[in-house]
Amino acid sequence: MTGIGRRLRRRPPKYSAAALAWRGMRGDYWPRVWRDTELKSSYDAVVVGGGVHGLATAYYLARNHGITNVAVVDKAYLGSGASGRNTAIVRANYLTPEGVAFYDRSLQLYNSMALDLNINVMMSERGHLTLAHNDSSLRTMNWRAEVNKLQGVNSSVIGPDEIKKIAPALDTSSHPRYPILGALYHPPGGIVRHDAVVWGYARAADYMGVEMHQKTEVLDILCEGGNGPDGKGPGGKVVGVRTNRGDISTPVVVNCTAGWAGLISAMAGVRLPITTHPLQAAVTEPVKVFLPTVVVSGSLHVYISQTDRGELVFGAAVDPVATYSIRGSLEFTEELAGHVLELMPGISRMRLLRQWSGLCDMTPDYSPVMGFTPVDGFLVDVGWGTYGFKAAPVSGEQMAEAVATGRTPKLIAPFALSRFDSGELVGEKGAASVGH
Amino acid sequence: MLLVPCPNCGPRNSADLRYGGESHARPDPATATPQQWRGYLYLRDNPAGWLRETWYCRSGCRRWFTLERNTATNEFRTPPMPGDKRGGKA
Amino acid sequence: MTMSRLGPQPTEVLDRSTKLRFRWNGKRFDGFEGDTIASALAAAGEHVFSRSMKYHRPRGILTADYWDPNLMVQVGDDPNVRAGNRLLEAGMDVRAQNVWPSLHRDIKAANSLFGRFLTAGFYYKTFMRPAWLWPTYERVLATFAPGGKIDLDTPHRYHDKRYTHPDVVVAGAGPAGIEAALAAAAAGARVLLVEHEHAVGGHLRYSSSDSDQAVLAELRAALDASEVEVLTNSTVTGRYEDNWLGIVQRNHPIAVERLIKARAKVLVAAPGLIERPYVFSGNDRPGVITSGAARRLINLWGVKPGERAVVFTANSEGDAAAADLDRVGVEIAAIIDGREGKRVSSAQGSSRALGAVVAGGNRIEADLLVVAAGWTAPTSLLNMAGDRPVHDPATARFFPSDPPGNVLATGGLAGDGTLDELRAHGAATGRLAAQRAAAVAHRLQAMTARARPVDGDEPAWAPDERTPLGRDPHPELYRSDTHGMVDFSEDVGSKDLVAAAHEGYDSVELAKRYTTSTMGPSQGKLETVNTVAAIAEARGETIAQVGTTVWRPPYAPLTLGALAGRVFEPVRVSSIHPWHEANGVSTIIAGQWMRPDHYGDPAAEVRNVRTNVGLIDVTPLGKLDLRGPDIPKLLNLLYTNKWSKLPVGKVRYGMMCAEDGVVLDDGVTGRLGEDHYLMTTTSSGAGGVWEWVENWLQTERPDWKVHVTPVTTAYVSINVAGPKARELVGRVTEGVDLSPDAFPYMEVRLATVAGVDGCFMWRIGFTGELSFEIHAPSGHGLHVWEALMDAGQDLGVGPFGLEGQRIMRLEKGHFIVGQDTDGLTLGPSTGLSPLIKLDKDDFAGMPELAWAADRSLPMIVAIQPDDPNVVPDEASQIVRGNTNEILGRITSARMSPTLGRSICLGQVEPELAAGGTKVTVLLTSGERVSATVMDHHAHFDPAGERLRG
Repeated sequence: MTGIGRRLRRRPPKYSAAALAWRGMRGDYWPRVWRDTELKSSYDAVVVGGGVHGLATAYYLARNHGITNVAVVDKAYLGSGASGRNTAIVRANYLTPEGVAFYDRSLQLYNSMALDLNINVMMSERGHLTLAHNDSSLRTMNWRAEVNKLQGVNSSVIGPDEIKKIAPALDTSSHPRYPILGALYHPPGGIVRHDAVVWGYARAADYMGVEMHQKTEVLDILCEGGNGPDGKGPGGKVVGVRTNRGDISTPVVVNCTAGWAGLISAMAGVRLPITTHPLQAAVTEPVKVFLPTVVVSGSLHVYISQTDRGELVFGAAVDPVATYSIRGSLEFTEELAGHVLELMPGISRMRLLRQWSGLCDMTPDYSPVMGFTPVDGFLVDVGWGTYGFKAAPVSGEQMAEAVATGRTPKLIAPFALSRFDSGELVGEKGAASVGH
Repeated sequence: MLLVPCPNCGPRNSADLRYGGESHARPDPATATPQQWRGYLYLRDNPAGWLRETWYCRSGCRRWFTLERNTATNEFRTPPMPGDKRGGKA
Repeated sequence: MTMSRLGPQPTEVLDRSTKLRFRWNGKRFDGFEGDTIASALAAAGEHVFSRSMKYHRPRGILTADYWDPNLMVQVGDDPNVRAGNRLLEAGMDVRAQNVWPSLHRDIKAANSLFGRFLTAGFYYKTFMRPAWLWPTYERVLATFAPGGKIDLDTPHRYHDKRYTHPDVVVAGAGPAGIEAALAAAAAGARVLLVEHEHAVGGHLRYSSSDSDQAVLAELRAALDASEVEVLTNSTVTGRYEDNWLGIVQRNHPIAVERLIKARAKVLVAAPGLIERPYVFSGNDRPGVITSGAARRLINLWGVKPGERAVVFTANSEGDAAAADLDRVGVEIAAIIDGREGKRVSSAQGSSRALGAVVAGGNRIEADLLVVAAGWTAPTSLLNMAGDRPVHDPATARFFPSDPPGNVLATGGLAGDGTLDELRAHGAATGRLAAQRAAAVAHRLQAMTARARPVDGDEPAWAPDERTPLGRDPHPELYRSDTHGMVDFSEDVGSKDLVAAAHEGYDSVELAKRYTTSTMGPSQGKLETVNTVAAIAEARGETIAQVGTTVWRPPYAPLTLGALAGRVFEPVRVSSIHPWHEANGVSTIIAGQWMRPDHYGDPAAEVRNVRTNVGLIDVTPLGKLDLRGPDIPKLLNLLYTNKWSKLPVGKVRYGMMCAEDGVVLDDGVTGRLGEDHYLMTTTSSGAGGVWEWVENWLQTERPDWKVHVTPVTTAYVSINVAGPKARELVGRVTEGVDLSPDAFPYMEVRLATVAGVDGCFMWRIGFTGELSFEIHAPSGHGLHVWEALMDAGQDLGVGPFGLEGQRIMRLEKGHFIVGQDTDGLTLGPSTGLSPLIKLDKDDFAGMPELAWAADRSLPMIVAIQPDDPNVVPDEASQIVRGNTNEILGRITSARMSPTLGRSICLGQVEPELAAGGTKVTVLLTSGERVSATVMDHHAHFDPAGERLRG
């Protein structure tokens, strides 16, 4: 690369209003947010996938455990996958105690992230409404609220009048096809600027010595001793990674990919309970802010929030057909618009500006697969379905601990790959097919 | 919207069908080990390429059938229709 | 700059005899029929139309068409209206957006003073401390959200969508697109021609050349004479899989906007080219316009764009604009020829108007700067088809590389040439499209050959033998020697992009995300290439090396109302529903059905059933009619219990589990005849179980002879329950001996009820009472119901609803799949282990259920709070003492009118499952109460004497 230096530095300049003013006066460029270095031949650990999960894992490896000889490799650019395509909703109001504990920790880390990473990730703790349109979903909301309360998470079920006060755009009359009977209200939920989380982790990890390698595609995982071909598979161990930029020797590979989790794991001879589906999202043109909270309807397969820029961001359930193709579909936008107008009939003249999709790795129990695998040194942090962004900080923290200590941390023990051998699945599936 | 080649009804919008997922053989329940059975329940090849999968033509002939589709491109490879020489060209 | 109305122009689209009066920011203005909002305002001398997003800089006309980022206005309750496209109507209330307090005095314009600090991404770097102030900062930031205002009372004026299956869709009706449409139609194809603008003709419309106008007239006449369907003011918004196209029609006579969905056999992309702004200091100042804007203003709307102009031109369109300006009396102060390497460096003046242009070190007084710096190829539809366009530096624009064979490009997207060459290319494209469409049509027909055999062999896939269009050299003009605006709608300058690249956001996607360039309402139409160019420049690379952003659908924004159309999610009701409505029903929506919940007092309904007799409409109950000799084998496979020996006339309860052992559904199935059964499912499971049954039959056991017909809505189902049920049913039934010995519990009979033949009834007991469930042909449902009501007056018959039924089933301890079970509840947890026959050869879920038999599982149990007046909310958690450890939950709870106490079902950990165990229930109020696990699921009549009576 030319033009822009590849200079190494000791300490990143701190972001602050004063620094902004100083550089603004002088007209200086800010130095590179992360370095651009040559790929080395050996690392203590290689993290596959430069999204929020991979970068968080690398960051916590360095910060909490002093393991800094780490490479994060991504076949495109940082945050190019689901990290930059999700709808940036965070919340902790899950159904199962293990889910609540896990996501609550994530929310805590999100809340302190701006100061931890010295980048404003614009955590907007604006509250999160999950609407119930029938008595059975109302019952599930109650269930979630009760489990949440027991874990110290702020959730409660509220009625239509209170919903109307919080989000006046919602039609809480009894006329709609899907009347709003109540909602699970979760004040700590909200939205975060997803790209800033990617960049913040990358910048902070870079500062501690972690290397970020973009346009570095993993072609194979090198193993020995396994019972499959080329020493892969159960019983073996990881010795390196083959990339389009050369081989790396490493004893630890952490698979933090989404969409390609199964393909990367297959390179180590590990089979996963995953199918890959696109999840579509869309955004409208901006209008003046009128929707102060995140609104979710499981029955209508839709979640809605309005950014500070005034755009409405919409998401839906994953597409039913498994595919790696991420072209959007027209019927998604049609169904979405129909459902949004069912909830908020007054916005029929807003215009859809852009639709996109990302890949989600779905597991049978709507819970991730985390931790060790039958291949020594090959760890996974995959199967995130539609929940990955919410879980990024805590996943990184816990995966880093697993790598550093060689033991499965308690918070992620329920999500072990081995649960699919024993049939002891996690109960999040009961919550809803749309969980945002 | 994907155009799915139903062997009975011809090409149909995918919204007219139910996707049944990767087709996989059911182990003999009498002899299956827990590992084999749970492999059948949960593990999937999930390839980025050609996949044998099942569909149910719920708004048409109401038949379950198997097709091959490339999951990277969503292109179908239609097996010839039984007893129908004209099939299989799409 | 001072714009004004010219005298009539030969090419104008105005009807000067029809004056339209409208309001702009509360003031009255006049325009003509044919004006856009923008042209009418421009003709009236308005030159500031909006304020920019971040810096609130005044903005005027830039491109004077749909894509003009500066012309977004509010029209009544319609926000973000494109004033460059929307035709003027009398009485319109048009307002500027994103201004405070007014368009001309905008306080936030002070932001431009801080511009050097408000660099791209500045907000990521500040507002972090003190953390407690961030919510306040956020609220302030949110006031900067651009765009119009939503009026929440706007009605959803939706209209039906249209589906069409043309052979060829041509997107864009410029000369090449029209020729393509004509040629395809001449070759026998059904053609839909979609034009984004208000009329066909593309750039010919605003050409003042006589020969161009003659060609346009010729093309219009040919279109009129052809079979081509033409849509104007409509846009192909997306190309989806298998040429599924979304088209938005903005000029439908009734609909606000109509969505048209087309499955095109071949798509011809002929969108033309979009003129690209040039980046230099002050390039967003009102008075700086594109050459296309100048020509459109003059030739379409008779608007003189200024008095004294500088023209910066690097192509023939710019030259033509200069000629047009000269022709209508605009003084040409200077022509700066970009082909000779000359550049414009800055546009200066007051904040609201251009005063002078600096070029080559000279300062030229002018109130208008017309820029013709090159083109952006809107490759959107090709992109959506999987094509990756390639940048050609010699022509300074992108070209298609390798689109799929059923997507063809023509016109400016495909190259340059004389008008004749473009027309010829269009015509060749149309012929090719028609040939390929015929091949596609043949193949589609062949795939349905069973229905209608196809004639002849499939036509060969026509090779692309079109003479390619040339490529006119064009200087690469992206940025001058000064910095200026790149993304007008997002207020992102070239300086921001360069700074972002230096900061490490140096790939196009990272820079886009960091600066938000191309993310706003323009969606890259004007700014994509300049964005990429700025990054390339910072990296010292070429545009081709940096690559471009992906164009995502929709190509043009469309309203949610158009996308939604009519929401077609009907609610189903039984044929008895009119009676319910006439009798004070309170309904509940359950899945697709609207059902009677109660008729005023569910507890009274329960008491009436327990003492007299009641009727409930249970029509939504899933019903599958099974015929064939292999039904017992099928039932053995689907249910966990045994079915081989069910005699004719008997019914049996069964539970279905999925292959993972989780409870899937339950219901009773009766044997109506030797090879004839009726299976019932839960209401919500009706559709799923049907597919499940078909799946087993078709994929696992194709040799079995069973035919399945869903008959859920073919019959109404009426449950007659209560001690006087036999008496009541007997009064209206013929041909069946109802005595307990002749027709015992769990048997089924064919009967004539209230004169209706072909009914069948079975004795089951979800409510725990003596009950007859009558399934009568739907058309007679209301009659049968009314006959029962009439016949039972003296017996005290009354209706009961879902709520009463739920209370009674809870009193009896019957679980409901999906309420008392969840996505992980295995068969044995229901307490029905005796019904799980592990000695069968095979059934769905058998291995898991076998292994589960050895595990200790959570169990469904009946629970009674020790205080009989406490009814825990459903979902109340069962916890260990005073701790927060969860040991189970209440899944169903009601006050029992029969027992006068609260009763529950719940799921508990195995350690609590034994009868008599004391548990702690945490009420939703936070209070902990003691409760007792019962010996039986049934709180009432555990021996079942009543229902067998």
